Amino acid sequence: MMVSFFDQFASPSYLGIPNIAVAIALPWVLYPTPPARWINNRLITIQGWFINRFTNQLMLPLNVGGHKWALLLASLMIFLITINMLGLLPYTFTPTTQLSLNMGFAVPLWLATVIIGMRNQPTIALGHLLPEGTPIPLIPVLIIIETISLLIRPLALGVRLTANLTAGHLLIQLIATAVFVLLPMMPTVAILTAAVLFLLTLLEVAVAMIQAYVFVLLLSLYLQENV
Amino acid sequence: MPQLNPGPWFAILVFSWLIFLTIIPTKILSHISPNEPTPVSAEKHKTESWDWPW
Repeated sequence: MMVSFFDQFASPSYLGIPNIAVAIALPWVLYPTPPARWINNRLITIQGWFINRFTNQLMLPLNVGGHKWALLLASLMIFLITINMLGLLPYTFTPTTQLSLNMGFAVPLWLATVIIGMRNQPTIALGHLLPEGTPIPLIPVLIIIETISLLIRPLALGVRLTANLTAGHLLIQLIATAVFVLLPMMPTVAILTAAVLFLLTLLEVAVAMIQAYVFVLLLSLYLQENV
Repeated sequence: MPQLNPGPWFAILVFSWLIFLTIIPTKILSHISPNEPTPVSAEKHKTESWDWPW
C-alpha cells in the first residue's frame, strides 16, 4: 500500500486519544520546576539562564508598558520551541505543523496587540497606517496597502510556522525514503544521500528553534508598535 | 493535506490555550533572578551581579 507523504501530518489516535493532545499536554514534565529555595542543579540553572536572558533581550526595545507581556512571550517561546524540537524525534507528532493550532495562537495574540494600541493610543496606532512624508497623491493607496498588511499579519504569522515545519518534515521524509530505495541499487549514492539527510536534520533542528524565536519576535514587534 | 484541515479547530484552540496558560507560566515564574529588571528609561543600569561581600 502506497501511503501519501502528507499522512504524517494527520494526528493519529491511540486508544481513542488523539496524539495531538498528548503531544501538547505531556512535554512539560521534561522541565524540572525550580524549588522555592536558591539551590539549583545544572538543568534548572540553564533553564533559568535561557528564560532570563531571552526575556531581557526581548524586552530591551519595548516600552515599560509592554513589559507586562514578558511572562506570556517567554511562555510562548518555551511552548513553541519544545513542541518544534520534540516533533523532530522519529515516531512523534508535531502539533505546530497544524495550521489550526498556529492560527489559534497567532490570531488572539495579534488581536491583543492591536486592541491595546487602539484603546490606549489610537492616534499613534492609526498613524502607523501612513508613513511620514508620503506624497499626497499616494496617500489613499498607501493607507489601503498598510491596512491590508496590518490585517494579513496573523495569517502570515500562522502560515510561516506551519509552512516551515511542514516543509522540513516533508524534506526529511523524502530524503529518508530516497536513502532506503537507493540502498540496494546504488550503495554509494545512498550513503551520500544519508550524509545529506544528516545535514538536513541539523538544519531542521536549527529551523525548529529559529521559527519559534521568529514567532515570538514578530509578536513583540507588533506589540512595540502598540504600547 | 491534513495539516491545513481546519477541524477540530475549536478543540485544538481551547486545549492548547488551556495547557499554555496553566502549566507553562507557573514553571517560568518559579525561576528567580537575583537582579530586579530595570526599565530602558532608567538613567543608570544596575549591571553588577551578586558577589561575595569581601
